[in-house]
Amino acid sequence: MNENNTSLELLDRYVKGTASPDEVSIVEKRMQEDARFRHLVEEHSALAQELTNYGKRVQRKHRLDSLHAEMEKPVVALPVTGWKKYRALSAIAASVAIISIAATLWITQSLRSKQTSDYLELRRTVDKIQKSQTALEKDLKQKAVVVKPQFAATGFLISAQGYVITSHHVIDRADSVYIQNEKYGSLKAVVVHSDPINDISVLKIVSPVKIQPLPYMLAEVEADLAEDVYTLGFPREDVVFGEGSISSRTGYRANPNAYQVSVPVNPGNSGGPLLNSKGDLIGMISGVHTQAAGATFAIKSTVLKQIVMDSVLDSLRAPLKLSRQNTIKNTPRVQQVKKLKECVFLINVYKNE
Amino acid sequence: MLGYLNRKIVSNRLAAVAHYFDELILAEIRKNNEAALGELYKTHYPMVVNLVCSNSGTEQEAKDVYQEAVLAFYERTQQPEFVLTCKIKTYLYAVCRRLWLKRLAEKKRFSISIPETETFEGVEEETSDALEKEAKFKHMATALNALGEPCRSIIEDFYIHDFSMEFISGKFGYTTADNAKNQKYKCLQRLKKLFFGDQRIEK
Repeated sequence: MNENNTSLELLDRYVKGTASPDEVSIVEKRMQEDARFRHLVEEHSALAQELTNYGKRVQRKHRLDSLHAEMEKPVVALPVTGWKKYRALSAIAASVAIISIAATLWITQSLRSKQTSDYLELRRTVDKIQKSQTALEKDLKQKAVVVKPQFAATGFLISAQGYVITSHHVIDRADSVYIQNEKYGSLKAVVVHSDPINDISVLKIVSPVKIQPLPYMLAEVEADLAEDVYTLGFPREDVVFGEGSISSRTGYRANPNAYQVSVPVNPGNSGGPLLNSKGDLIGMISGVHTQAAGATFAIKSTVLKQIVMDSVLDSLRAPLKLSRQNTIKNTPRVQQVKKLKECVFLINVYKNE
Repeated sequence: MLGYLNRKIVSNRLAAVAHYFDELILAEIRKNNEAALGELYKTHYPMVVNLVCSNSGTEQEAKDVYQEAVLAFYERTQQPEFVLTCKIKTYLYAVCRRLWLKRLAEKKRFSISIPETETFEGVEEETSDALEKEAKFKHMATALNALGEPCRSIIEDFYIHDFSMEFISGKFGYTTADNAKNQKYKCLQRLKKLFFGDQRIEK
């Protein structure tokens, strides 16, 4: 036991490097001679090395642990006072409220863009109303006399000298008459002849304008029953085409001076030309039967011609030459209407009543 | 044994700046600057926590893995021939990744794959080296625990803390240094048996 102890001490010193040179040489010599001793030394030094490593590692682990603890040191929070204490709570409550409102709106589909556009439209309407209201107020203040045409109807040229024919009831007691269409624009006209019984009036354009030769002429013979006819008129601001056929060769209450035609017409069509498929002018729209459906009346061209010749042609100041040729006879209806359109006018009648 | 730590990622200017700081930290750690080690430890810990926690690990496991890697790095820095050839961040990330994959494999969870965003040459050796050291450490810890008191303290005091036998005999109340030496001899024999014996059986 004692011997073991002394050799152990020697080994300890040898391993730790504190042995004297003599002792080192003794140990190394014995290691070479004795294999068992060498094994003992190696084992001992290995164990000592492991122990040292272990010790170092324990120490380093402690260091890292303390570093880690330092890192995790809790941040000292300042004491919260006053309403701030409830800030988190109120934030939660507010967010719950917002979420529930949003969810409700979403579920009930109230957030659709439809409503937004509705709202905008509503506002625009209000704007409009406001605008028109201010405009009205302005008008009232200024008392501006903006005379608007009180009646509007249709008329058409019967001569290249600027004679326009229309219904008498249109220009009855008129102060001034203006006629307009796409080709000639707005022109001033004066009434040169009126025939209240036959409901015919002849106008003369007084604005300086060059009228093109007419493409149609007044038919000299009466139209036959069931003949296809069509008309152009201004029941609104733009020219409107309507077609039908001759339903009867007499007019309202068996008036022999008029036809009954099945052309759909509206107020404003009065004074419109009635043409057959060849483009001959066979009449002029004058009125409708209010109790019967589809009964329109048109004054016959023969009557028109007679009245015009009798009353106007003898005027020396402005001789009236009727159109004597039909240039649209053999053209399709679309082409006919294209030409005819230039000779049909919207008649604006101003009355001071 | 020491593998040169080559960069895999081509350096750019930013990396060069990072490299400069790495060198600075390395130099300070070699001077045993506690603050530098702390700086290093704190800088890269979040990265590893993220790595482990996003791959079915806990923060405690992240800490273990990270400490192992930092210890491995620290031990490298204590070798005078060690030269830094990649970013410290890269070193720690690659080693931690390997260590964590190994742990997951031990847990029989192979399905997880962690993308290898950055690595360096010799990461395998570094990892196995770290694992070997940790294994030895744990083995010694078990052996010492099995030794029991007062043997453990005597052995630790003499071999680790380098106390003299006279001091130790005084500390443990032995009448003579010889008695203490006898005790130490017995303890060492037992430790040898525990340490090498178990190792032999393992082998």
